[in-house]
Amino acid sequence: MAKKEKPSIRQVKIYSIVTLILIVVGSAISYWTAGRIEFYTNAVMHTSEVLQRTNELYSSILERETNIRGYVITGNEQFLTNYRQSKINADVLLTQLQNLTLDNGVQQNNIEELRGLINARVRTFEATIAYFKEHGNLEGFLDPSKASNALNGYSMIKNVVLRINDVENNLFQERNQNLINNINALPFIVGLISLFSITIGLVTFFSIYQYNKAQIVADNDRIIFQEKLKDQINLLDESNKELEQFAYIASHDLQEPLRKITSFSDLLKEQYADKLEGDGELYLNRITAASIRMRRLITDLLEYSRAGKIENEQIKEVKLSKIISEMLEDVEVAIQDKSAKITLGNLPKVYGAETEYRQVFQNLISNSIKFSKPDTDPEISITAEEAGLDLVKKFPTLTREKKYHLIKVSDNGIGFNKEYADRIFSIFQRLHGKKDYEGTGIGLSITRKIIEKNGGVIFAESNPSEGATFNILLPFITT
Amino acid sequence: MFIQDFMLMSFEKPIQILVAEDDEDDKLLILKAFERTLPKEKVTCVEDGEALLKYLKRVAPYNDLLKYPRPDIILLDLNMPRVGGKEALAEIKRCEDLKSIPVIIFTTSSNLDDIQITYKMGSSSFITKPGSFEELVRVTEEIENYWSKTVLLPD
Repeated sequence: MAKKEKPSIRQVKIYSIVTLILIVVGSAISYWTAGRIEFYTNAVMHTSEVLQRTNELYSSILERETNIRGYVITGNEQFLTNYRQSKINADVLLTQLQNLTLDNGVQQNNIEELRGLINARVRTFEATIAYFKEHGNLEGFLDPSKASNALNGYSMIKNVVLRINDVENNLFQERNQNLINNINALPFIVGLISLFSITIGLVTFFSIYQYNKAQIVADNDRIIFQEKLKDQINLLDESNKELEQFAYIASHDLQEPLRKITSFSDLLKEQYADKLEGDGELYLNRITAASIRMRRLITDLLEYSRAGKIENEQIKEVKLSKIISEMLEDVEVAIQDKSAKITLGNLPKVYGAETEYRQVFQNLISNSIKFSKPDTDPEISITAEEAGLDLVKKFPTLTREKKYHLIKVSDNGIGFNKEYADRIFSIFQRLHGKKDYEGTGIGLSITRKIIEKNGGVIFAESNPSEGATFNILLPFITT
Repeated sequence: MFIQDFMLMSFEKPIQILVAEDDEDDKLLILKAFERTLPKEKVTCVEDGEALLKYLKRVAPYNDLLKYPRPDIILLDLNMPRVGGKEALAEIKRCEDLKSIPVIIFTTSSNLDDIQITYKMGSSSFITKPGSFEELVRVTEEIENYWSKTVLLPD
């Protein structure tokens, strides 16, 4: 079973076609053979008719001869009447024979010769009758030359009749043999073709059976595989959910003891600060500062675990230009404070939740402002175009058949080294010291989470001190 | 201390507060915070929902009315062992002579479902425990101020 070749659908097709061709050829041969049999049957019947007519003709000539003799010997008029009737008979038979053998040149010549001989005899008969009527007897009419002429005439007629019979007999023999041959061949041909067709049919049937069996096995394999895949996906979904749940619970429960640390160190500071000696107060301050930072980390982690968990009813068409303009109005003071210049291009509508996109662009813009060059006013532009297929192909999570918007958020800030382009999106990853730039490094990871949840990707391009560009690919809204 | 007490006495009878809180640290912090504005005996504590219900129904050991006076308001934590906050709240609102006592949910949770449910069950406020002691003092002051001076309570 292991090495057994699996019949392909192509083989099955070829077998079926061969079977069909054989059946058609077999039918054609059978039809042709049947045609031949009919043809030879007709021919045989035709030959026997010719033979019959020839014999009748010969008899009618003999009959005439007899009647003439009867008349000249007895003088009885009845013989003469019989003679006249048989004369008409002979003419009809000759014409019939001629019509029957139209396809045969030899027979036509023979019949023509026969007609000549018969006419010659008839002329003699007429002359004899005329003489007899005139003289009442045949004395002086008959002589030895006439007698030998009569004998010659008969043997010649007989010869011609025999010749005609011979030719027809030969034809009859030949056609009969052909007929027999054809009748004998028919069952053999039909049988052979049937056998062939049945064999090929069986082979086809067996192939189809094998093919179906293989197909069923393949189907089962595929179903098992699909189920496995589904299980795996479910498992992955579950573990993802668990992970998010974990992040939520962990950060939530972590807040409890942290709140207490902060509260008790507040109390300690308030009531016993003056009693602390040496570095005591410094340590206490460090505890407070560390607690505050930890709280920030925990709240960010909570925010990250919640990001992208928007209810389905909040997902709709979002006009990016509207969302971003509104967001910019809300943070106008901060923008003016930094003398930032923000320009918006023509931005598309995309699917998602308004609050999420608002967060995305707020994160990106505040990021750009935060990492602006100290001596230069921040300039940020947001533009959009249709993404090229080459770009879409670079990301395995995107679907090649879909169209994507490419939204670019570019700034003139301090930029970053190319090699960090991926790292900046990871949670709590920072490229700069806490002293230089505040923040936990959660903003971009939340941004990425939201974009990916909406079926898109985000990636950054930059070089140190050359500004940075954040590229977002989001699918077109399909109707 | 004297002046404070005097001022309180001179305006209103200070409100009696019952705190249901299982966490020792939180209990200590809440008491410390209330101490800033209220005399010690005005705030009593129970460690879970079961004790809270026993207290309110004056079941032993809470049958001494002088030692365990009827509270004007209740501060109720949600996550407690045995009888939790929500069960205790439901029981309080079921009892005819207890349901007029305002219950303030005082918890670490900021879960929207928790907020929705407890208000529906008849709680009067929902407060998430503040992150620092300073904040906690502000909140306890506000509670005390609001329930003793701003609003009128049933007898």
